[in-house]
Amino acid sequence: MLSKIFKVFSRELKTARRDSMAILIIVMPVLFAFGITLFTPGLNDTTVNIALLESDDKSHIEYLEQFAKVEIFENREDVLTRVNKRDDMAAIMQKGDGYEIILQGNEPEIVEGYAKALNALYEIGANKEETTAAMYSFGHTVSPLKTMLVNMLISMTIMLSGMLIAISIVGEKADNTINAINVTPVSQTSFVIGKSMMGGLIAMVSIIISLFITGYYDINWFMIILVGLTSLILSLVVGFVQGLASDDVIEAAANVKMIMIPIAGSIVGYELLADKWQWTMYWSPFYWAYKANKLVLTKTADWPTILLCTGMVLVLSLVVYFLAKPKIREGLS
Amino acid sequence: MISVKNLSHSYSHDDKLAVNNISFEIEKGETFGFLGPSGAGKSTTQGILTGLLKQQEGEVIVAGYNVKKVQNERFNKIGVSFEQSNVYSKLTAKENLDYYAKLFDVPTRDSMELLHLVGLDGKENDRAGEFSKGMKHRLTFARSMLNNPELWFLDEPTTGLDPAIAATIKDIIREQAAKGTTSFLTTHNMYIADELCDRVAFIIDGEIKLIDTPKNLKLQYGRKLIDIEYIENGKVVKETLKTVTEEDRRRIGEIVNNHDIQTMHSKEATLEEIFIQVTGRELV
Ligand SMILES: Nc1ncnc2c1ncn2[C@@H]1O[C@H](COP(=O)(O)OP(=O)(O)OP(=O)(O)O)[C@@H](O)[C@H]1O
Ligand SMILES: [Mg+2]
Repeated sequence: MLSKIFKVFSRELKTARRDSMAILIIVMPVLFAFGITLFTPGLNDTTVNIALLESDDKSHIEYLEQFAKVEIFENREDVLTRVNKRDDMAAIMQKGDGYEIILQGNEPEIVEGYAKALNALYEIGANKEETTAAMYSFGHTVSPLKTMLVNMLISMTIMLSGMLIAISIVGEKADNTINAINVTPVSQTSFVIGKSMMGGLIAMVSIIISLFITGYYDINWFMIILVGLTSLILSLVVGFVQGLASDDVIEAAANVKMIMIPIAGSIVGYELLADKWQWTMYWSPFYWAYKANKLVLTKTADWPTILLCTGMVLVLSLVVYFLAKPKIREGLS
Repeated sequence: MISVKNLSHSYSHDDKLAVNNISFEIEKGETFGFLGPSGAGKSTTQGILTGLLKQQEGEVIVAGYNVKKVQNERFNKIGVSFEQSNVYSKLTAKENLDYYAKLFDVPTRDSMELLHLVGLDGKENDRAGEFSKGMKHRLTFARSMLNNPELWFLDEPTTGLDPAIAATIKDIIREQAAKGTTSFLTTHNMYIADELCDRVAFIIDGEIKLIDTPKNLKLQYGRKLIDIEYIENGKVVKETLKTVTEEDRRRIGEIVNNHDIQTMHSKEATLEEIFIQVTGRELV
C-alpha cells in the first residue's frame, strides 16, 4: 500500500510540474514571502542590541538583559569597534554620574529611542513588572504587522494546497483516467492519500521556505509543522470536493478560493474581536490555526495551548471530512 | 472465468432497466463477443463485470472473485481496454505505461515492446495530450495488456481506427487468444465478432436474445441467400431471397421466367443479417 501511495504521489508531482497553473500556485507563496520582506524592511529585527562594559554595574547589566540583547566588552575601545559594525547596536557606558549612549549614526531612530528609554527606566528604578507591556513586546518580538502578514501567508498557502488537489482532480476527470486507476490493484484510499501528499507536501515546503525568507528561523518548527499538517486536512477535503464538482481548472480554482471567506473572517475575528467575543469564532478551524501560528511566530506558544488549538482544528476538519466522504467516494468511483 | 446469473441494472434505481435479467458463462480461454446496437447495455454490463459500476441484482463472479466485494488485487489478473481512451495527457506515451505498470503487483510487460506492438514506436516521448484520437486509443489498448491479463475486457477495440491499424489490433487479439487469454469483447461490429469470437451473445434493450458460436448461427439462420438483379418496366430491381423457404423459391422461379436477369449471385448470410433476422433490428 505504501509503495502504491508513493507511486501515485510521484506521478502527481510530475504532472504538477507540467501544469502552468500548478506551478503558479507553487511559486506564489514564495513570491509573497519576498514581497513581505521587501515591503516591511526594518521590521525584520527590532530586537535592540546593546553593548556594555564589563565594569558596568551588575544590576544595570541584568536590568538591560531583560529587555534587549546585551553584549559585554572588556574596554571602551572594543565597545566602539562593535558599535561601528554594520548592524544596529547601541552602546551604553557610564560617564560621570550618569550614562552616555553611543550610536554609529545610521541606526533607525527606534534603536536610539529604545536605548534611551531603557536606560531612563533603569535610572528611575522601574522594574519589568511595572514597565508597560507594549515596551516589553517592543523589545522582544518582531513587528506585529509582519507577523500578521506571514500568518496570513500561511493560511493562503494552506488554501493553495486545496487548489492543487482540485486541479489534479479536474485533470483526471478531463482525461477520464479515474476509471483506468479503478481497474488496477490500487485502492481508492491509496489514490486519495497519494494525491493529498502532493498537495500537503508542496504546501508545507512552501510554508517553511516562506518562513525562512521572512526571517523566522528560531521559531518552534515542530509546532509550525504540527499546526500546518492539521490545518491541511480541511483544505484538501475542499480540494477534492470542488475538483469533483468543477468542469475546468478555472472553475475549480474559483470554487476553492471561496474558502478564503471563512479564512479571512477568522483572521479578522481573531485580530479585532474583544476577548469576550472571541468564542464566536470557535467554530472555525481557521481561527484555531491562525491563533496557533500567531503564538508560534511570536514565540509565546506553549505545548498545551498548541495541542488545544490543533486538537480543535483536527476535530472540526474531521467533521467536514466525514460529511464530505460519501461524496468524494462516489465521485471517484 | 466469468459467471453471470440474473444480472439486472438500473441507473435510475427503478424499473427502467439498462440490463435486464441476463445470464451467461464464459469459459477459460474463450473469446466471447457481446454484440448489440447502441444503447443495448453492452458497456453497462462490462462496467459491472469490471467493478466500475456497482452491482445491483443478480450474481457475478469474475476471475474467481465476487464483484460485490471490493478486492482490488483481482485487477492483477484483469486488463481493461476502454471504449473512450483515457490516458494522462500530461504524461508521455511511455510514462503513461510505466506509471500504470507500477500499480500492479505482478510482473508486467515492457512498455517499449507494447508501444512497438501497436505501432507507436518513435512516439514514446511525446505527450499523450498531443496524440490523435486513434493514437490515444492504441495507447489505451496497449496499456490493457501491461499486466499479462488472464481476463481481458475489450470495449469496441477497433472502432474509429483506420483499417490497417484495426487489422493489427485484431491480430494482437488473435495472438492473445492463442496464448490462452480469456476475452470479453464488446462491439457492434459483426465482422469483428465473426472473425474473433468463439461465441457471441446478441443483446438488445438490455436482454440477451441468443448465445451461440458464429458457425452454428450461420448454419441455423444463414441458409444460402441469392441476390438477383433484374429489369422490370425498364428499371433495375434488386432482391435478396433465401434458397430454403418455399415462398422465396417460388419467387425466384417467377423472376427467372418473367424478367431479364442482369446478375444473380448466391452468398452466405453475414452475422449482421442473422442479427437482423433474430432480433428484427438493425445494428447501428
Ligand atoms: N451513466 C448513465 N446514466 C443513466 N443511463 C445510462 C448511463 N449510461 C448508460 N445509460 C443508459 O443505459 C442503456 C445502456 O447503455 P450502454 O452504454 O450500456 O449501451 P451500449 O450497448 O454500450 O451502447 P454503445 O454501443 O453506444 O456503446 C442506454 O439506454 C443508456 O441510455
Ligand atoms: Mg458502449
